[in-house]
Amino acid sequence: MSGFDNTDFFQSSYSVDDQNQGGYGYSDPNDPYSKQYEYSQPMGYSAPPGMMQPQQPYMGQIYQPTPAFTPVSPQSMYGSSFEDEPPLLEELGINFDHIWQKTLTVLHPLKAADGSIMNETDLAGPMVFCLAFGATLLLTGKIQFGYVYGISAIGCLGMYCLLNLMSMTGVSFGCVASVLGYCLLPMITLSSFGVLFSLQGMLGMILTATIIGWCSFSASKIFISALAMDGQQLLVAYPCALLYGVFALISVF
Amino acid sequence: MEYPVQSGFRQRKIQPEVRMRGAPVDPGDPRLLFDDTSAGGIGHRQALLSDPVSNLAMVYGSSLASHGREMMDQNLDRFIPISKLKYYFAVDTVYVGKKLGLLVFPYMHDNWEVSYQQDTPVAPRFDINAPDLYIPVMGFITYILVAGLALGTQNRFSPEILGIQASSALVWLIIEVLAVLLSLYLVTVNTDLTTIDLVAFSGYKYVGMIVGVIAGLLFGRMGYHLSLLWCCVSIFVFTIRTLRLKILSEAAAEGRLVRGAKNQLRMYLTMAIAAAQPVFMYWLTFHLVR
Repeated sequence: MSGFDNTDFFQSSYSVDDQNQGGYGYSDPNDPYSKQYEYSQPMGYSAPPGMMQPQQPYMGQIYQPTPAFTPVSPQSMYGSSFEDEPPLLEELGINFDHIWQKTLTVLHPLKAADGSIMNETDLAGPMVFCLAFGATLLLTGKIQFGYVYGISAIGCLGMYCLLNLMSMTGVSFGCVASVLGYCLLPMITLSSFGVLFSLQGMLGMILTATIIGWCSFSASKIFISALAMDGQQLLVAYPCALLYGVFALISVF
Repeated sequence: MEYPVQSGFRQRKIQPEVRMRGAPVDPGDPRLLFDDTSAGGIGHRQALLSDPVSNLAMVYGSSLASHGREMMDQNLDRFIPISKLKYYFAVDTVYVGKKLGLLVFPYMHDNWEVSYQQDTPVAPRFDINAPDLYIPVMGFITYILVAGLALGTQNRFSPEILGIQASSALVWLIIEVLAVLLSLYLVTVNTDLTTIDLVAFSGYKYVGMIVGVIAGLLFGRMGYHLSLLWCCVSIFVFTIRTLRLKILSEAAAEGRLVRGAKNQLRMYLTMAIAAAQPVFMYWLTFHLVR
């Protein structure tokens, strides 16, 4: 992980580098290109030995925003360094492709998760999902953005403490927030159902229970694959279910 | 993507007066319309704010933050021993399932001794008799949420109520643990019960409370009273059998009658601790079920 030293923006303390399932090919820590910052050599991305798939041309650099105060090579003139500057999204570290991959992981709860997807702490996706959740609540007339943010903050803090105590390796707060935020996605479908029909009947209860189970199952699946905790999936799923149950309470009542 | 267009767009964000920040700009460069303080730089080291003083301030600030975090970690470790706490959370699903069953039905279990491995207790994962903190913590949080649910069905819910319930339950827990510690001190018992062990044992009653309140929600007052009675008796038996081995001397723990004031006092102490559990269970739940 030495390539990440100079960016304290996306810091994560672990990596799973021996999993390479179906096109996920995330950055290999031994990959020399994750340290360098070469834009004049697009060939460099397809060269690494078999770990990376070449369909994502900027995969190796995405979670390393432009190091703002490390020296650029002294010889580069203003013109060439500006042309070599990465596009804005990449500089911010937002990679829609990765966001989409993680979303798909959440949406397929029965498919085994890849532990390496949590190598980068991405809070852009969860922010989008929280805002979407608040927006769907707004459509039903409940202006409760404050509750959503407050509960997610407290819930993330609680999960962070619990996971640090329960796992052998620790987690960073950003990773916990990221996973919990991504797994909020099915809750958005619940609240959008709530726009169309009331959730307080029997059908609504069953739907709510299913969605809570789905959210907590995905979250626990990602956590235990990223943290290599065995035999503890239900134990991790239960606090997640409590947290998502509170969100469901906001949607339903 | 046309870089000249992009460069023009980016340049518009920069106001001319930032020149004061001391960025030495090559005045002869014809491509520059305005001064550039973007991270691309002019060739020498450009800090984000293009100013050595701000750079220094930023570095100082980040070092202060990391120093603060180290200090907090050290001090936190003094008050709450994190490594000891980790022992109590080394559980797995099988252990939790069996322990929950034991809390509700402790009558069939024979061997209540905690196994040791070279003087250190074995992790709860491998020994069902070892105390853990996962069940008490989850039980506490579930109790608060179930209390909120119960009050909600009676239309007595408000978010402040949750806080009141949580704080009162927490205070009763602290009082109970302090009382047990005090009485253990007064009776001068030589035991290896730590404070965290006592918190764990006191926290096991939340399971019975939750069962009672949920039964009360589903089946009314009769269901609440019956299930609470069952859980109270179970917790009483569980607590006596667990604490007996820890507090009483070896001989008395095996069940042989050992006369003597000391052992009698310890027996009374164990019974008192066990009897306090149903009292708390009833006290903390009766107002939730109407």
